[in-house]
Amino acid sequence: MANFVQLVILGLLAGGVYVAVGVGFGLVWGVLNIVNLAHGALVIVGGYLTWQLFAAFHLDPFLTLPVDAVALFVLGYALQRGVINRIIRAPLLFTFLLTFGINLVIINILLLIFGSDFRSVTPTYSGQGFEFGSVVIPYVSLTSLGAALLLAAALAFILNRTRIGLAINAIAADRDAAQLVGIDLRHAYAVTFGLGAACAGVAGGLIAMTQAITPTAGEPYTLQAFVVVILGGLGRVSATVVGGLAFGLVEAFGQSIPGSGSVFANAIAFGLMVLVLVTRPQGLMGRLR
Amino acid sequence: MSAAPSPHPPAAPGTSPASGEVKSAAAAPQLELRGVTKRFGGVAAVDGVTFEVAKGEIVGIIGPNGAGKTTLLNCISGVNRLDGGDIRWQGASIAGMAPHRIAKLGIGRTFQIVRPFGSMTVRENAAIGALFGSAEGRRGVAGAFELADEVLELVGLSAKARHPVSALTIPDRKRLEVARAVATRPHLLLLDEVMAGLNNVEIDEALEMVRAVHATGVTVLLIEHVMRVIVGICRRAVVLDFGQVLAQGEPDVVLRDERVIQAYLGERYAKRLLAERGQGGTSDRKS
Amino acid sequence: MIATLDSNRRWRRIFLIVGGVVAAYALLAPLTSLDAAVSANVPLLADRLWFRIATIIAMFVVMATAWNIIGGITGYAAFGNVAFFGIGAYTTGMLIAKAKWPFLLALPLAPVLSAAFAALVGLPLLRLRGHYFAVASLGVGVAVGELVQNIDYGGQPLFGGASGLFLPIYSIDNRGLYFFYLMVAAAAVSIAVTWWVLRSRFGYGLIAIRENEEAAAVLGVNTTAYKVAAFALAAALTGLAGGIFSQWNVFINQDNTFPIEYNVQMILMALLGGTGTVFGPATGAILLQLLIQFLGGTLPISFDIPFVSEAARPIVAQVILGLLLVGVVIFVPRGVIDFFGGRTRLSLSYLRRSLRETSL
Repeated sequence: MANFVQLVILGLLAGGVYVAVGVGFGLVWGVLNIVNLAHGALVIVGGYLTWQLFAAFHLDPFLTLPVDAVALFVLGYALQRGVINRIIRAPLLFTFLLTFGINLVIINILLLIFGSDFRSVTPTYSGQGFEFGSVVIPYVSLTSLGAALLLAAALAFILNRTRIGLAINAIAADRDAAQLVGIDLRHAYAVTFGLGAACAGVAGGLIAMTQAITPTAGEPYTLQAFVVVILGGLGRVSATVVGGLAFGLVEAFGQSIPGSGSVFANAIAFGLMVLVLVTRPQGLMGRLR
Repeated sequence: MSAAPSPHPPAAPGTSPASGEVKSAAAAPQLELRGVTKRFGGVAAVDGVTFEVAKGEIVGIIGPNGAGKTTLLNCISGVNRLDGGDIRWQGASIAGMAPHRIAKLGIGRTFQIVRPFGSMTVRENAAIGALFGSAEGRRGVAGAFELADEVLELVGLSAKARHPVSALTIPDRKRLEVARAVATRPHLLLLDEVMAGLNNVEIDEALEMVRAVHATGVTVLLIEHVMRVIVGICRRAVVLDFGQVLAQGEPDVVLRDERVIQAYLGERYAKRLLAERGQGGTSDRKS
Repeated sequence: MIATLDSNRRWRRIFLIVGGVVAAYALLAPLTSLDAAVSANVPLLADRLWFRIATIIAMFVVMATAWNIIGGITGYAAFGNVAFFGIGAYTTGMLIAKAKWPFLLALPLAPVLSAAFAALVGLPLLRLRGHYFAVASLGVGVAVGELVQNIDYGGQPLFGGASGLFLPIYSIDNRGLYFFYLMVAAAAVSIAVTWWVLRSRFGYGLIAIRENEEAAAVLGVNTTAYKVAAFALAAALTGLAGGIFSQWNVFINQDNTFPIEYNVQMILMALLGGTGTVFGPATGAILLQLLIQFLGGTLPISFDIPFVSEAARPIVAQVILGLLLVGVVIFVPRGVIDFFGGRTRLSLSYLRRSLRETSL
């Protein structure tokens, strides 16, 4: 029983990171109709930023998260405005290929700057946690979950309560109509991608605190973002939150299956995703669009 | 049989499809719809529709926007699955059958919003129908192109056979839509608003095309908003409203039906139409 | 107008001549390494390193051409085709290494098993469209690779596990040459199959599905069967390449038989050369693979990238590749086949037009 509780807690805590990874990816996919294969690379950029600030200025890693968000927003805005906007009306394969190209460029630039060594962010409190009997809750994971939920809430607020957020929603509903009512598509698209990148950056900061990163470590996060978004359902932040937490739980329980070890986690996740896609394409929480 | 208020014209099928009453062989129903129902979410787009089409008829389906006309065609052609009722083709049920199997049984259709195969030429588009749809059995690629040429001749697109679809005008695209369906050699052709958006001259041409296709022995069930078409070409009209059959019978009679006028036409328009028809001669029956 | 057409025709002729000469050299030069040729003092025109690169190029010709059948002709953006390569490789590999089958008996089972697997997963997956199909097929690709590496049976890794699977070396004279021609034969088969598909009833059905699936269905195309058949056909060819690869490379593991980047590369090759055409994907495969090898510094004709140290070179090569990918996707959305096929000329106005067509 304690084991079960521990698994649920571990799963939900790990789910925090997946929420952060998923929300940005889901936003870009839902609004721009772009499956962003560079998402994992953007996550890792955020991770390196946090590491750099921690290593050079001994900033508390949680305090670096806003910096990650702002820096990645700028990068994302520029990428969309300068590059991705140019193929937004091309067939879907092109966005795949383009974002894969961007992915390649980012990863290899990171390799040139930082090399392929593993980097990790270890503040003084890492490794410590609350203990309830046999159940342990690490501080870092708990704060990460809090930060991820805060991130999702902030994104939901921006999308539902601000002028640009409403414009983004309008675009998601009908691009042409949005343009007719005077929304500057290029700008709004760039802001959307920027927001997605900012979320990726924050996710990267969170990831750097719990595991060592290398420039090439981002690919799994792109794949996991897929799964999270599909599990939850495209189009709403809250659905992605559910998807992320569900993914964390699936992973925790998948890894606990005796004999399988941690190695099947991806296969289980993808199996689940395909199952959800085929049986319930709108996701667990989604509405058909 | 929820609604059949107007007296049936003699040629129309009997009122109760179950009883095999006095029916001449020619008037035996080729297509029977019995209580056909299709829901989207909680809304019934088609709700218990029952009527029949006899071999060789031209039947029109009319009704206001959202009455369920296109959904009904989707049900017949297998694009939408039925939620209730049954559709019988030459006596056997086709409910739940995949669209391609229904096509091979000899039911062809067009789409209201044309769906050409954009990367192909006009001739290739028609050949797809000839290659796959034919109830007469398989054709080779060469044979399919021969049939495609015949069909393009029939609908008047021969001159543009080698053009890419993107070069076609709207009326020509509608013709192509018909050509493709006709190339499947259907026994029954379902036409979804092939005249919408055409001007008067184009409508006359399109009417000629439909008559020509009908003359080759094809039964026609068509959805049309243009009343002139319904009155001019159809022997029978079925009026749908809110997914249900409001009335059916001879177009003149149906259009005079008060409920139809109120539900759909607006009184003034209906009167004008009937007046037009009075002037415009009557010999549209046989073609 | 006429001048343009003439110059296009000239370009096309030049392309065909150059392509023919290069192809003849590529196919015939290796023969000079045969023992008989060596003893007759025929000068060596291609060395062993060259065989390796040429075999890899032929392998990608197979994969890109096969992808074209499902992705280009049928219009389903398969993103996990590498799974079929891996399944083919492991089928042949397991039969040779564990069941001690001879290679030529084990090879035909690679395409069979790959196709069977594709048909199995294709039935549910091909109901999805657009992004969803792409993502789901990618998921299948990743999951299969992981399963192959990690499945245990009786405490032992069933497929060699993380340390991979070693095959006995195929004993034959001129091994490199043998596998080169075998892979070229596979490439020829895949191109021939594409050629046949595009002229057949089957191919017309696939194109109809690509252009409008619902319209195809009401015209009598059995869309499910056709899509699954196209997927399985692509899988069979890809699996064939995988089967040859396993015996040629002697060692297979998850990294060299299920690499995710192959998925992207085969698509990029098809796009570069022109999707839906017979020779486009092959052309794209040759061009892109040559470029990758060139940037990686493995080609005999090489160069130094200025300001870049030898150690950083592979990384910079990847950056260049990424930028090139971005550039191609933005500026040449219809593939270079447009120029070589004589349909248009590579000019500033063409680039500008294609940019305008796709940008916001």
